Amino acid sequence: MAATIAGVFNPELQNLIKESKILLVGAGGIGCEVLKNLVLTGFSELEVIDLDTIEVSNLNRQFLFSKESVGKAKSHVAKTSVLKFNPNVNIMSHFGDIMDTKYGVAFFNKFKLVINALDNKKARSHVNRMCLSCQIPLIESGTMGYNGQVEFIKKGVTICYECNTRAEPRTYPMCTIRNTPKEPIHCIIWAKFLFNQLFGEIDEIVSFDEENIESEKLSARNWAIQNDYNPKKLFKKVFFDDIKALMNMKDLYADKKIKPVLLDESLLDQEHVKYSDVLDSEMLTLEQNISMFLDCVTPIKEQWEISTNKCLVWDKDDDMMMNFVVSCSNLRSALFNIPFKTHFDIKSMAGNIIPAIATANAMIAGQIVIHALRILRGKFEKCQNVFLRSMPNHKGGVLVKDRCLQPPNPKCNVCSSKGEIIFTTDMNNFTVRQLEELVLKKKLNMVAPDVTMLDRVIISSDETDGVDMYDMTLSEAGMTSGCSFDAEDDHQNFRVKIIAFDKEKSRDEDPDFEIFNNKNDLHTANEQNNKTKPDEDDEDDCFIDQAESTVCDNNGDTREAVNHLMVDKEEIGYEEVTEGGAEEIGNEEEEITEKISNEEIDAEEISNEEKLAIKRKADEAIEDINDAKKSRVD
Amino acid sequence: MASELMKNGDGEMSKDERKVYDRQIRLWGFDGQNKLRATKVLLIGMQGLGAEIAKNLILSGVNSITLKDHTEVSILDRCSQFLIPRDSEERNRAKASFSAAQKLNPNVKVIVDTTPIEENVDSFVTSFDLVIATECSPSTYKRLSENCRKSNVKIFIADVYGLFGYFYQDVISTHSLYGEVFPNNAEIDTLTSTKKKPQLYYLTSALLKFQSDSNRKPNPDTSEEDIEELKSIIHPQINDSSSDQENKESDVFEEYYGELFCELSPTTSIIGAMVSQTALNTVMNKPVDNYNVFFYDHIEHEGKFHLL
Repeated sequence: MAATIAGVFNPELQNLIKESKILLVGAGGIGCEVLKNLVLTGFSELEVIDLDTIEVSNLNRQFLFSKESVGKAKSHVAKTSVLKFNPNVNIMSHFGDIMDTKYGVAFFNKFKLVINALDNKKARSHVNRMCLSCQIPLIESGTMGYNGQVEFIKKGVTICYECNTRAEPRTYPMCTIRNTPKEPIHCIIWAKFLFNQLFGEIDEIVSFDEENIESEKLSARNWAIQNDYNPKKLFKKVFFDDIKALMNMKDLYADKKIKPVLLDESLLDQEHVKYSDVLDSEMLTLEQNISMFLDCVTPIKEQWEISTNKCLVWDKDDDMMMNFVVSCSNLRSALFNIPFKTHFDIKSMAGNIIPAIATANAMIAGQIVIHALRILRGKFEKCQNVFLRSMPNHKGGVLVKDRCLQPPNPKCNVCSSKGEIIFTTDMNNFTVRQLEELVLKKKLNMVAPDVTMLDRVIISSDETDGVDMYDMTLSEAGMTSGCSFDAEDDHQNFRVKIIAFDKEKSRDEDPDFEIFNNKNDLHTANEQNNKTKPDEDDEDDCFIDQAESTVCDNNGDTREAVNHLMVDKEEIGYEEVTEGGAEEIGNEEEEITEKISNEEIDAEEISNEEKLAIKRKADEAIEDINDAKKSRVD
Repeated sequence: MASELMKNGDGEMSKDERKVYDRQIRLWGFDGQNKLRATKVLLIGMQGLGAEIAKNLILSGVNSITLKDHTEVSILDRCSQFLIPRDSEERNRAKASFSAAQKLNPNVKVIVDTTPIEENVDSFVTSFDLVIATECSPSTYKRLSENCRKSNVKIFIADVYGLFGYFYQDVISTHSLYGEVFPNNAEIDTLTSTKKKPQLYYLTSALLKFQSDSNRKPNPDTSEEDIEELKSIIHPQINDSSSDQENKESDVFEEYYGELFCELSPTTSIIGAMVSQTALNTVMNKPVDNYNVFFYDHIEHEGKFHLL
């Protein structure tokens, strides 16, 4: 509480610190450190919000929590802990979701400054919009392993969180997952699908091939129910009978290099093999995987029976659920000649785990408060984005900054009124409900969207309006190719013009819809599509959307990325950056340094680009098709 | 010793430990974690910066950490010392920090030592793998640096002045000793004028000179006199080293003087983390071995390594 001691800060700053009300969104890794720094600096009007509870794996860095507090609300425990070293501070802690409509404009307007210590793009975008709408300065932050960044966002002064397109989470072609897996990650995703089919939510919207998935899920679940989730019968059905059925499907594997091989029938009756003494960093044998599978089905079924609405959400921290995915993905791998993975590695991939350490969070949290002090004094020009590097650059820099503030993107469809979005889909098949769920909510991060076209309401967030066109296709709702409509979210005070084009799906594996920021992007994508298609030697690889090719461009080699589409650049790629350790990053930077000397570009700008790319990867790695609903905070 | 509780480094990593350290093992691997579990640390000075370093190292899961401080809790600790509860009746800084420090990670042996470092600076350090010193006098730093070099113990020396902070590391025997980098006497410019130093070097040297002369760091109670004193140390240095006539007219550190008092939280957080991570990386065989001094510039908000 430096601000209460005379002479530490000048009187003007001292008062600003004492009086400014600050909102901290997230009480995880960065959040704990920021809260500590704010309270010690003398900020005394604070509110902190987090929707999460404490887990054991938080304890290596979220130092306001201890073993005894596992399971409790992060925001409340964090508050109690900091009050021990400074009881003279007003902290209001909220255990809730910042996207909840009860935290509207009136709530945000109380604050002089908002600090984001979040871990997912959706919530970040939401707070970005709320702060733009309320004209409140926002400090945005994130860490990943040794790396991290701090960004300052203010409407009209800097770029906003959504001024640059951030890459979307990786998706996989459904037929690869179902029929032709090539990499462990495909088997892991399949294992999570299987979990959902047996124990998960039934009415979940899946973006591709919806009907097919629904019926498949129902039938798998019905089969399991009819057989009372008998582990041995389930094992036989999933890993023997279904595979035989696949192999019997005409032409499915006719001209494919990838074919399943049947397991030895004797495995059906094998004795129980002990696996409990195998470390999670060691490989299980085929027999051990089988026993692990047989052992986890019944406990999960028992959890499922007592769950609300008979629906389980897969959780990497639940031992049985984790064992289910480990054993299923390895057994699946055995069928397709794919190498096994350890429990430890499968957990990384299935749970999209981003490594995290106390020190990186503490450095970022320190810089956040340094920025906060500048912002309160109105010295915006002194708040350039800061990046934490894992190793010093060639000038010795570890905490490096942009040379100047980045001005807003005039074409941003969030912070500029001139923004518009191009949207292509098959209008005769795409429904209004899909428009709301998949496009407006999932892709554009709206909370309660309204859609009007030429003063006609198509989607209303107010149920009392009685508008219900959800089951209509876009054509039936009156849309034609080239038409434009307005989508807005009153809660976020966000509106955007959307121009829709009709585009028939030429193949099953084509995406149901695509989003572009302007017509040029649309043209480029069309040209790219035309170019790459003839080269494809494997039709499974064709499902790339625009966002992915953007990422590929960042990586510098689009062609390479297209060929290696099956390797998850985001989910696995971050391991190369982080787990592989400092040397790998060091190498990357040497190359970058060379480029600089050739082209005379400022070194730090390049490395910042690189850091931004890492940040994007961090964003993406966290999102997951199945986990999108649960937004965790770090 | 046999009756000691099972702590880090005694035997295999338990399943519980793996769970707690999961997110960092995914960064530096089981090998790295096992190296940390075997590391015995001496941490000198338990003000705000010491608290940050203690937190980071204890969370990381080192084998043991000895918190060494003979001084008493002061009101200025409230700017950054978060391990001392406000209602603590314990007067000694290390003792008052013990319980919160131990609670951060029960797997680590946390040991309190209230003997002044000056009394055992010559022999004490050899029983540790890693020494991190804060809040000592420049002459003590100089002796610590020499002793650690002799006994092949890695040493890190760090201090925070208001929002400014730095650390020195000795991880390569060909690099200069602390006393060679910061000779702390009037002849420093003429001795080292062959190579241009980063600006913050002169600020640091002046602060260390101030500390030697006044036997304390600059203090908020006497801020105006202390700033004058610092200026009188710094101006001859800067003017001698700068051939640029214009620089003599204006004081490049004008913006810095107002924020040099106490150890302030944002910077203890940054320097504490930077020195901790660099030390941990050294233990895990990934030292930053081409530099020996790190400055955090709070005005430019940049953190850079230098070789001095």
